[in-house]
Formats: sequence, C-alpha cells, structure tokens
Amino acid sequence: MLDKFIASPSASHVTFRSASTGALSSMRTLLQLIAVFAVALLLGISSARYMIEHGSPLTTKRVGPWASWVSEGNPNSDPYTKAHLARSGRLPLTSTTARYFTANTDSEGDTLTSDCEYSIEGGALNARWWSLAVYDEHGSLVENPSQRYSFNSEEAVSHSDGSYRISLASNARPENWLPSGTGPERNLVLMLRVYSPREVDSSGIGQIADDRLPKIERKSCN
Amino acid sequence: MQLRSPLLYFLLCLVLAGLIHIVAVLALPGLAPKNAWARLVPLGPTNTMIQIPPLGPGNEVMPMMAPDVRYAFCRFDLAQGPVRLKGSVPNDLWMIAFYTPEGDNFYTVPGADIKSAQLDLVIATGEQTVAEAGVDAPEGADELFVIKSPMSEGVAIVRAPLSGPSRTARAEDALKATICSKLKS
Repeated sequence: MLDKFIASPSASHVTFRSASTGALSSMRTLLQLIAVFAVALLLGISSARYMIEHGSPLTTKRVGPWASWVSEGNPNSDPYTKAHLARSGRLPLTSTTARYFTANTDSEGDTLTSDCEYSIEGGALNARWWSLAVYDEHGSLVENPSQRYSFNSEEAVSHSDGSYRISLASNARPENWLPSGTGPERNLVLMLRVYSPREVDSSGIGQIADDRLPKIERKSCN
Repeated sequence: MQLRSPLLYFLLCLVLAGLIHIVAVLALPGLAPKNAWARLVPLGPTNTMIQIPPLGPGNEVMPMMAPDVRYAFCRFDLAQGPVRLKGSVPNDLWMIAFYTPEGDNFYTVPGADIKSAQLDLVIATGEQTVAEAGVDAPEGADELFVIKSPMSEGVAIVRAPLSGPSRTARAEDALKATICSKLKS
C-alpha cells in the first residue's frame, strides 16, 4: 500500500520527464547529425582538393622540390589525375612522350618568391630537348625587359659534362639569367619539361634519374 | 533511434566524408569551367589550323605553356567525315599530339617518326573508313596514315620546340603552312 502510494507519483513523474527529454534528445540528435554532416563535408572536400592540387603518392612522383604527375594526359589515368588536369587548364603530353616537373619551393622547402635570388643547378638530361621556364603562381609568364622566360637545352650555357647553372633573380646575372621580374613580390613556379627522354621503363614512361633534376638553392633575399 | 555512441558518430562522419570525397573527385572534371578545351574554343572555328602567337606575359592561351615552343592547333569535328592534317615538319623535335575534349592525349606522332619531313595524316572515328572518302594516298606512301579518334571531336596540337633563334622563323613558317581540313571538300 505504501509502496503503491510512493510508486505511482514517481512513475508519472518519470513519464513526464521522459517525454520532455525525448523531444530534447531528438533535437540534440538532429543537431549532432547536422554537425557530423558539416564535418564530413569539410573533410571530404578538403581531402579531395588536397589530393587533386597537391597530389599524393598514388598520382605524383616527388623528388626534392620537384613534383611530376606520372599519368597526366594518359587516357587511362586515375580520377585524381583527370581532375587535376581539368583544373589545370593544360594539355600536357603523356609521360611516354614527355615528362613535366614543377617546383614551387626551393630544395629546402621554402616557397619560391621573386624577392629572393636562387641558383638552379642541374645535371645533363638524357633527352632530345628540355626547357626550364618560370611562371607566376597562376601559370603566366613573368614580365621582364629582356623577354627571357626560359632556358632550353639549345640555349643554356652548359659545362663540358652537360651540367648547367641558371640564376633566377630580379637583376641581371652572368651565365644563364632567368629573370624573376621586378615590382611587387610574387610567388613563382618552375617547370622543367623534358621531351622524348631516351631512357624508358617497361611501360614506355620516360625516366629521369633523381640526381639529374636541378637543385634549387636560395642565395639571398631582399 | 538514438546514436549515443561517439564512435558511431565518428564512423558515420568518416563514411560520409569518403562519399563526398569520391563524388567531388569524379564530378570535378565536368565542373571545371576553364579546362583547356574551353580555352581553345573561342580562338577559332573547327577543322582549321589556328596559330598561337609567340607567348608573352598576359597572352597565354593555357597556363604554363612553354615560352620556347611555337604552337598551332586544330579542333577537329569528325561529324561530317574524316579530317586531314598536312604540312612539312622541318625539325624532328616537333610533336603532333591528339587530345579528346577532356584532355586525354590519345595519340602522339613524334617528328622523328615522320618520313621525309612530310606530315600527311587523316583523323577518323572508329566507324569511318577513309577508303570510302575516296582519298589518294600521298606519293611514296604505302598507305595513308589514319589516326582513330575515340570521340567525334578533339584537338590536334603541333608543338615546334625552338632550337635557337636562327631556326625560329623557319619553324614559324612551317607551322603557318600546316593545313587542317575536311577530307571531302
């Protein structure tokens, strides 16, 4: 009797509470689901963006500051490479015909900028033709009075062993001077294109030995 | 239904993120508004060789083009039949590369492979037969060189890497003389 008396109000109290917490908790669940979706959206988009812009070991080969999208332009390339290509707005040759290497940092990993002077030293490349060009971060050529935007294998002054040194600087330098432009500071991108490499692997992809890719050494900064 | 466990939320988040990642990567090529094809279309009509002027800051057609390569291109449209590409190749460094509108480089003819420096080839779809188009094979060739395009549209790009200032004018003249036209015309 006493038990019943105590039990019944507490039972109704429990029912009342569970109804209110039920509404609250479903509200909370909804908010949590929205938060989960927002985080998933952020994670999904940013990871896709990173793998498309920066690349990953699946798609790109990295040697020091140089990156090369190995199956760029190949009809059988993976979705990341296809997305990268569409975004880049370029029409590259496949790696069985030419290899492209880009660098936006020096060999130490610091961003290339027009405020600094760099020495680019590379070994002889076993290929029919190569060219090293400098661009701004949008892929445009850098304005300069001598209208020099690149050095290729026919033009660059090279040493007897085929190695060469290019100075990337705002002001004129001896030997091979690649102007990085004057005016406000800008970030720079270097591209080395190698046409018809003579060494190929079993699938016909042109091979450039790692030690032949140029070292990019920062000399001084403004 | 209540998801109380933080682990469940975490797993749900991961699965969703993975799905969004995959959708984003697959959708991007179709969504990129300024892919190479979109940049080439405004420059001129199809089945015509179009010269890209020497590059300088601000007049690039595509990002990161080679400043020491001269380019000419032909957007081919095979809906009305095969397209012929003709010209001379004064330097075996030249590359004649064929792309789909998505940028797949489905075929490349290196200049070094072109006999007696005369470029003469036909682009056709898989269903088109060049013999029916009634074209004569060029003199000295056993048969006309036919490139099968996986799509009815695409672009052929001729790259002439410059090998010194003295040879630049010759390369430019040869590029200008390159012809892209419909087989039956």
